Amino acid sequence: MSAHGEEITEFERQSCLVLEESVLRIDGRVRSRLNQARHAAIEAAAARRRPLWRFFTLAPTAGAAAAALLVAMVLWHRGPQVEVPLPPTVGEAPHPGEDLDLLADGEALDLIQDGDGSGAFYEWAADQTEGNGNETAT
Amino acid sequence: MPVSTHGDVELSDSSTNAHSRTLNQFLAGVELKAFKIAQAALRHEDDALDAVQDAMLQLARAYADKPAEEWKPLFYRILENRIRDMQRRRTVRGRVIAWLPFRGDDEDDEPDPIAQAPSNDPSPVKKLELAEAMGALEKALGELPRRQQQVFLLRTLEGLDVAETAIAMGCSEGSVKTHYFRALQALRQQLGESYV
Repeated sequence: MSAHGEEITEFERQSCLVLEESVLRIDGRVRSRLNQARHAAIEAAAARRRPLWRFFTLAPTAGAAAAALLVAMVLWHRGPQVEVPLPPTVGEAPHPGEDLDLLADGEALDLIQDGDGSGAFYEWAADQTEGNGNETAT
Repeated sequence: MPVSTHGDVELSDSSTNAHSRTLNQFLAGVELKAFKIAQAALRHEDDALDAVQDAMLQLARAYADKPAEEWKPLFYRILENRIRDMQRRRTVRGRVIAWLPFRGDDEDDEPDPIAQAPSNDPSPVKKLELAEAMGALEKALGELPRRQQQVFLLRTLEGLDVAETAIAMGCSEGSVKTHYFRALQALRQQLGESYV
């Protein structure tokens, strides 16, 4: 009778005996290698099952590390402000965009059209500038 | 299912401890028989060891979460696939080598002292009888077609039932019965009804 309740013949019984005996005679080298293989397989299975709970265990540590990294990044970006020295300029040349601002300014049109439209304001302004220049020179 | 308890793994991981112990017991229980089955098919010790090792790893990686009762047929199914791959590769390699002008004998024939150590020591007369019967059976098994050899070893040595053998071999239960019947017939013809 087999393990599954099936009738077995004398031939099958003898064969089973012989095969089991041959298994018992497997030498030490093979047994050792099979043992190593088994350990490797169990380690592989354990490693496969590990990540989920490892994640929860390591979550506080990982969070703290991420926070520290974030703070370090922020501090690095807001570090000592170095003022870049401007190149030395000759006089006070007006910025090129300044003329454009004057032209686009709606008040400028009013000044041109001021009074009789002769541009008296600009003449006056020019006189003032020349006068100041002369005063400075003297 | 009787399982061997030798070589239990020391496991520190408490959450996976029970599962690893079950897997360890299962693998310890099948590894020697699996090796014999692989060796009968491949007729090469190191190839057989590689096949069993691969099957163990594959089972552990892909099927360890399955219920333990399903492991045995799955393990033998994986092993059978691995054996078939190795046989195919060997056939291709044999074809390539056949074209080469010189074939050196690379077999490592150095005697290993550990390998020489017998693992069991029955009485000398019984030992001789069994050794002769083993030799005769192994020779007769080697001459069987692959499927018959496989079904005979799975059923007689590993003790799988028809359904489990069918899963392990990837065929129907009817095929298992047919292959097994033919295997028994061929072996009886070669060895006689009582050969031990």
